[in-house]
Amino acid sequence: MTRVLPPPRFEVGVLGWVRENLFGSWFNSVLTVVSAAVIVLALVYGLRWVITGADWTVIGVLGGQLVIGQYNTEGACTGQNCFWRPQVALLMVSAMFGMAWAMAGGGVARRLAIGVVAILALFAFLPYSFERMGMDVRILLVANIPAMLAGWAIARFTGMSGRGIVIYGVAAFLVTLVLLRGIPGVPGLQPVSVIHWGGITLNLLLAVVGIVLSLPIGIALALGRRSNLPMVKLLCVVFIEVFRGVPLITLLFMSQVLVPLAFPEDFNTNSLFRASVVITLFSSAYMAENVRGGLQALHPGQAEAARALGLSAWQTTLMISLPQAIRNVIPAIVGQFIALFKDTSLVYIIGMLDVVEISRAFIQGNAEYLANAKELFIFLALVFWVFTYTMSYVSLKVEEHMGVGGSPQAAIARMAGQGDASLQGMRT
Amino acid sequence: MAQMRRLLTYQGVEVWRHTKVLQWTLQIVSGIVVVALVAWFFTNIATAVQDREIPHGWGFLDREYQTPIGQHFLPYESSDSFGYALGVAAVNTVVVSVVGVILATMLGIFIGVARLSGNWLVSRLATVYIEFFRNVPLLVQLFFWFYIILALPPVREGYVIGGGLFINNGGFSLPFPNASGVGPAVVWSLLAAGALAAGYAVFRALALRETQTGRKSYPVYAGVAVAAIIGAVAWIVVSLAAGDSPFIITSPEPQGRFGRLEGGFTAPAGLVVLLVGLVTYTASFIAEIVRAGIQSVRRGQTEASRALGLSPMETLRYVTFPQALRVIVPPLISQFLNLTKNSSLAGAIGYADLTNVAKTMTQTAPAVSIFLLIMAAYLAMSLTYSLIGNLYNRHIRFTGG
Repeated sequence: MTRVLPPPRFEVGVLGWVRENLFGSWFNSVLTVVSAAVIVLALVYGLRWVITGADWTVIGVLGGQLVIGQYNTEGACTGQNCFWRPQVALLMVSAMFGMAWAMAGGGVARRLAIGVVAILALFAFLPYSFERMGMDVRILLVANIPAMLAGWAIARFTGMSGRGIVIYGVAAFLVTLVLLRGIPGVPGLQPVSVIHWGGITLNLLLAVVGIVLSLPIGIALALGRRSNLPMVKLLCVVFIEVFRGVPLITLLFMSQVLVPLAFPEDFNTNSLFRASVVITLFSSAYMAENVRGGLQALHPGQAEAARALGLSAWQTTLMISLPQAIRNVIPAIVGQFIALFKDTSLVYIIGMLDVVEISRAFIQGNAEYLANAKELFIFLALVFWVFTYTMSYVSLKVEEHMGVGGSPQAAIARMAGQGDASLQGMRT
Repeated sequence: MAQMRRLLTYQGVEVWRHTKVLQWTLQIVSGIVVVALVAWFFTNIATAVQDREIPHGWGFLDREYQTPIGQHFLPYESSDSFGYALGVAAVNTVVVSVVGVILATMLGIFIGVARLSGNWLVSRLATVYIEFFRNVPLLVQLFFWFYIILALPPVREGYVIGGGLFINNGGFSLPFPNASGVGPAVVWSLLAAGALAAGYAVFRALALRETQTGRKSYPVYAGVAVAAIIGAVAWIVVSLAAGDSPFIITSPEPQGRFGRLEGGFTAPAGLVVLLVGLVTYTASFIAEIVRAGIQSVRRGQTEASRALGLSPMETLRYVTFPQALRVIVPPLISQFLNLTKNSSLAGAIGYADLTNVAKTMTQTAPAVSIFLLIMAAYLAMSLTYSLIGNLYNRHIRFTGG
């Protein structure tokens, strides 16, 4: 009778995996040993530095300034504590995460909602003295948990639609602006000039405006560039190429110099408004090229079939071409969102104190912390990384959900759009 | 009434329903709106400039700049004009851009290939590198490197890596061939370029012969030998004629009590920070482009070439990479553009690039004119890279032959 031998011990299981992936050939073994040595050394020295060598107090000293800049200083918010205003705005954001969870019914939205409010609530237990971080601040941080749950409950029991959450989002954004700006004459809501807005709040505000507006403008530009009307096409091409051809900081600088001259004197704009317009337009130019890549990769048969079925040109574009094109370039679009978020750190050129610039200014003004600058910037890197990595994680999940990740169309579109999320850089 | 109706029809269709008419109306209207807006802006600017006595125009270009520029690759004196100073700053940007592009491409290809490595640890390391560096704003990374360099010991107590390499808070110094005189250096450089061209011509001719006849012709060895021999002969001739070697390699030598480094080449701290930041950041994007490019080559190609007996290295060199290149080149070019534009962050860490110098100039010269100039300069650089990229792309595309 025949006896079935078990497979050789070194070809299956853990040993097999190790052999195939780490010690397949002598060259592979050398690589494994070298990289293992690198990892061990980096971990040993890195961890030793993080625990015993590094001095992280500089982050605590900056504290609330990293969050909101000079908003809550005596010069900006005289005689009052204004820190509750951004905190209340944050509660509305938490509620929105709850609504998204209820509408998505779980999955990545649930993980995101729970993760965000958990982290925010944990901030309430930072080891500050009560003079530096009052009880009110801590309570408002923990309040993010009930706020999120309330948002979940509202969406769940009113049967909120996608349109509902959009309306809530726009309303919450406007309320946030009013809350931060203040209303003259209302006690507790004294006006705070926009030049004092800063910190990570400023980065997030600029990013939200840019993300929401640059996609529709980018789509319009992409359609314009593919239009067969020479005039429209020319205008779109010039706009896209000029905005893509120059660094963002020169555009920001020009907006600072030129806009006050180009508009009549009674048309006053503040630097926050100008910065958001420039960042949005700049990002739209890149967005247009991504969308155009998606449109180009689309099989012409789709549009032809739609026309043959009697759809008008507009209907074909809006209902057939665009949805498929955008679905295929989601990674590139999210990559542009990430690039935009990173780009918000460039507003230093027009004197706005975003989270990076306020840190740099603090180090420059306080020489005793010069040696701890690297700790501060490592911390900032981690903060940005958490935001951007979450964005690409959500994008990946959305893609999986829509089932586009591995399809050949998506691959072609990615190449035409010059890359997946990973390929988009920061465009200064 | 009928008359009226006929007047409002074109080719038998009412004008408000005729596609051609509507399209042309749209175009004319949008054209007029844009022209009117631009004209309105210009009138506003012109009045504002006159009313508020804001400096304007281009006369400043011939004035003396009278401000030092920290680092410059062209000779520069404070008495030079604004126009020349802008040129010096532009060269600073071009140097960073070209050196950065070369280094970032090398590092990016290395990490991209490492990410596809069959070795699990190596590919994990590459992934961690990419995920970290591309997700953090360049500005934060630049500040990080900036304060790292600042924390280094001063020149006198700086690190000596050995082989004439020095690193300290003044920058990075390395041995460098310095010209002994302008004349011999230029003459020999021209001759060396000729030697390279001759070597390349020999290589091409022999490579062609090898592919056509199948006889071993050793094109690489022959080409290198021809270039080396011509170069060496030129070196001897120029040295004899000038009485000195055209280039002398000098190492940085610590001098005096404060440890100034003489000789070799010293890249000042700002340049080092900018290059390290730009290269590590851009390499993470290039690595992903290289990975996507290699993965876009069908598996059958690799399998077929392995079945034909090519080694893994030969497969990568002759089969996979040439095909991947078609996918890689266009996004790679846009990364080169990004690197060039990102170099405008130099001002934050104290390197005198085009944007930084221009920003300083705005204190004594019309800001609008200066920034229009430098935007045009960046556009020109972008177009140059695009042109080179398109030419190369045409060179490597499928020709069907």
